[in-house]
Amino acid sequence: MNQMTDFTRNEARPMLRVSGLSHRVRLETDTLTILQGVSLEINRGESVAIVGRSGSGKTTLLGLLAGLDTPSEGVVELDGAEISKLGEDERAKLRASRVGFVFQSFQLLPALSAQENVMLPLELAGIEAPEARARELLERVGLGERLNHTPRQLSGGEQQRVAIARAFASDPVILFADEPTGNLDNRTGQAVSDLLMQLNREKGTTLVMVTHDERLAARCGRQLNIEAGILTEPETAREQADQ
Amino acid sequence: MNAAQKLMSVRRDFRERDVRVVLVALIIAVATVATIALFASQLQRTLVSSASSFLAADRQLEAENGRPVPPEWLEEARSRGLETGQMIEFSTMISGPEGFELASVKAVSDEYPLVGEVEIQQQASDGAREMVASGPAPGEVWINPRLLRLLNLEIGDSLEVGNLPLKVTRLLIREPDGGFRLSSLAPRVMMHVDDVAATGAVQEGSRVEYIYLFAGAEDALDGYYQWLEPKLGPSHEWEGVREGETLSRSFDRAERFLLLGGSLAVLLAAVAVAVASRQYALAQRDTVALLKTLGLQGRGIGRLYLRRLALWGIAGIVGGLLVALPLFRVLVALLSEALERPVEVYLDPSALLPALLTAVVSLFAFAYPPIRRLRRVPAMRVLRAQPGETGRAALPDLFIALLAIFGLVWLYAGELVLVGALLGGLALLLGVLGLFGLVLMAVLRRVNGGGNAWRLAFVGLYRHRQASLAQLAVFAMTIMLAATLILVRTSLLSDWQTQLPEDAPNHFLINIAPDAVEQVDAFWADRGAPLENLYPMVRGRMTELNGQPVKEAVSKDERINALNRELNLTWMEQLPEDNEIVRGRWFDASDTEGVSVEADLAERLGLELGDRLTFTIGSAEITEPVVSIRTVQWDSMKPNFYVVFPPEGGLVNMPATWITSFYLPEQKKFALNDFSREFPTVSVLEIDHIIGRIQDIVQQVTQAIETILALILAAALVVMAAVVSATLRDRQREGALIRTLGGRQSLLVRSTMLEFALLGLIAGVLGVLAAEAAVYVLQARMFDGSFRWHWQVILTLPLVSALLLALFGRWQLRTVLTVSPMLLLRRLE
Repeated sequence: MNQMTDFTRNEARPMLRVSGLSHRVRLETDTLTILQGVSLEINRGESVAIVGRSGSGKTTLLGLLAGLDTPSEGVVELDGAEISKLGEDERAKLRASRVGFVFQSFQLLPALSAQENVMLPLELAGIEAPEARARELLERVGLGERLNHTPRQLSGGEQQRVAIARAFASDPVILFADEPTGNLDNRTGQAVSDLLMQLNREKGTTLVMVTHDERLAARCGRQLNIEAGILTEPETAREQADQ
Repeated sequence: MNAAQKLMSVRRDFRERDVRVVLVALIIAVATVATIALFASQLQRTLVSSASSFLAADRQLEAENGRPVPPEWLEEARSRGLETGQMIEFSTMISGPEGFELASVKAVSDEYPLVGEVEIQQQASDGAREMVASGPAPGEVWINPRLLRLLNLEIGDSLEVGNLPLKVTRLLIREPDGGFRLSSLAPRVMMHVDDVAATGAVQEGSRVEYIYLFAGAEDALDGYYQWLEPKLGPSHEWEGVREGETLSRSFDRAERFLLLGGSLAVLLAAVAVAVASRQYALAQRDTVALLKTLGLQGRGIGRLYLRRLALWGIAGIVGGLLVALPLFRVLVALLSEALERPVEVYLDPSALLPALLTAVVSLFAFAYPPIRRLRRVPAMRVLRAQPGETGRAALPDLFIALLAIFGLVWLYAGELVLVGALLGGLALLLGVLGLFGLVLMAVLRRVNGGGNAWRLAFVGLYRHRQASLAQLAVFAMTIMLAATLILVRTSLLSDWQTQLPEDAPNHFLINIAPDAVEQVDAFWADRGAPLENLYPMVRGRMTELNGQPVKEAVSKDERINALNRELNLTWMEQLPEDNEIVRGRWFDASDTEGVSVEADLAERLGLELGDRLTFTIGSAEITEPVVSIRTVQWDSMKPNFYVVFPPEGGLVNMPATWITSFYLPEQKKFALNDFSREFPTVSVLEIDHIIGRIQDIVQQVTQAIETILALILAAALVVMAAVVSATLRDRQREGALIRTLGGRQSLLVRSTMLEFALLGLIAGVLGVLAAEAAVYVLQARMFDGSFRWHWQVILTLPLVSALLLALFGRWQLRTVLTVSPMLLLRRLE
């Protein structure tokens, strides 16, 4: 394994390009380095798993890649836009049109029904006929009968399926998933990850997933390891990716 | 409706506890402020018109010189759109078939009364009374029931006023302008003004007063008075409603109390709105983070929440007014019942302005800041809990909010003293709380955990120390505000009670000859209605101040009624109990000169101790130095005097008659007939119905005050509920965990109730003490009362607040105890 590997690839424009990314958090007495010198490229349609233990910095990395936060140092380029230089509102605009999310804790709004939760990003992006599109997506994830149920009336697996439907609703070019099966039992987790991978393939979306579950990671085309804020790529994975 | 709209929809929003608290607080604030402002404005208007009816007009012009005023004065008034009327008052002997009686005659024109109504009785037997808006027709006479008995007459009989026979058609029970005029002491006879000439009773030089009545718009009256003033002679007196109004002082205080109540309602509502909207904002952080993640920009978030605030404001205002208007109608109905006449509902639109301002300021000074900060919630929060906002961010907000709220109270109450007392009380409270909190926490740190409910309660207080201190502060503040109101109300009511007790003097005896004093005293002592103090009375005019004519010595702007008429002068040895020397000294037994002057008159004349006042009494002139200035309780229903001499002073050898007042219960009133026969020269002034009326009004205003108090206590409860529910989730989670870990329900209940009871007790003690401090200032400066400690309240209120909060704590736990810990933990995820 090489540290500070340069993952640059030759394709015209990668979906995500990161170079020299560092992130530090100032604490009361000293400064904590969470990420250090991360560089990486992810191509269109690729599925990438970032694997690491709790506290390794993987969630912070995901947040920076998705433009939810800005790094202390380095450049993040998403679909050609240098998001590390954009203001918060511009990043929000970019997310609305091109980014989808799936979270470990589902992050559904408890007051809205399943269908309304899926409609929300469509409305924020100004897409027409959001009801029909949301219904279609929920039918696709097997919840066609549960449109009007609120999250509290759904099981964990069902909630995550709603979240997946929501993630794909606005036809994002890239999908970020944070431990998508972390709150689910094995069987449900398996079903949910099947659905996620399948939809991802169908839509040709680029997938960046953070997980500590090696089995789930193995289902992605490429795995990266993160440990103490440093990103590494196993040789085998890199070779596979290069082929 | 789309999802984003639904997310922000009012109906959905109002299902959230915090939003409901904000709304209830707003509704109570708007309702209280609007009700109070509407009622205060109605009260003022009604009292002015009620006072007008004491004059039977808006203004009166009296000519005491026995000559009518030039007719063009009245023509001028009519040309300015004023209504006019005329009365002639004189005393004369009335003869019936069985004798003579001295009567006080009031002859009225067709227009009488311009304001108010005359109460009459058609039959002597059945006692049914009615109100009419006119006086007797020519040829008729209405007489006092006592005169009917004295002359042994029946309704329909004739009597003679001077040379003119007139038919008795009604019994005169009460005239609107029957107030306290000393010239109308003998039994009243009312007749038509056109019959006066035929009686022959009014001759050149006889003692007669021509009184002219005016009514109309305020500015027309003012304009007319400006025209008239230069033409008035020394014996002309222009009287407005504000003069000699006994009720005004009581109502002034009632109005101040209402304003104080309104201000407290505003403060309480602001606290509730602030607490609830902060909770709301905290709870909204996850939603905002998610919306940001899904691409909503800062401006969009700002817009969404501003729209929400606007909707809350509209709902609060509409809801508040929906509560206020019926409440206002109820209060007006009470008022109308008290005044025994229909009160025209006067909905003053400008009175609604403070209520609207309250809603807007509460929302924008208290609810908006935490909600505005939502824009700054990092999107990253969807992935990981972020450090919460520090207290420092909220400091400037707090400053602005305090400024806004005190600005509002000032604008509303217009009393700097009030704002100062409340602000001072609150500042003192917070200072003490800060110190106390430090000490408390230092003590609590030493308590170890354990299975005992007391220990768990102490540990609970320490572990939630930040929340505990914040709650303590809000509870103590709420209790302080509520206690201030309760204390002021109590002393206000007891003041009224002592001012007008059940046995307040309700009859005056005037014109008692010196040699009859003892017999009169004995007469009433024998009948179980002993007289209060008897005072000699000498009529005289104040003519000079330090050798200068007194009307020139005072500023032209001041119209001082006391200078325009004869004063009742007296001498006395003892200072009456309800008078108080403010400057100088009371007389010694050896004093042979000097006068004591009433404080308001002294102030208006600019009198200093040692100034020399000259009085003209009959043909004599006496000059005396001012040796003391004293306050007088004008509404005490006892004889009161502007100027008092020492017993051996300037009034020695002056012709005096005696005056006294006493309480005569209704069932002993018949004794007045015997009294009049035995002492025909003594005049009896019956003011029992006026006293009864004042007592009724005070009672109704008290009810209004109680209503407002109830509203404000409701606001206080809402604040407390808001604060308690602020930690609801944390406590539920903790409770569920304690149960999961094997804690018994009873332990949980006891320790939580104890924890809250302790909070309530401490907050109660601090709040009551701060309230005493505020009441001290308010009593001294706003309500002219004297301060005393209220031990009953000091001892009970902390216990009540402890109990109340313990119950609130128990209420918080209800879900923890009924729902399985697993379900609860899952729900709270």
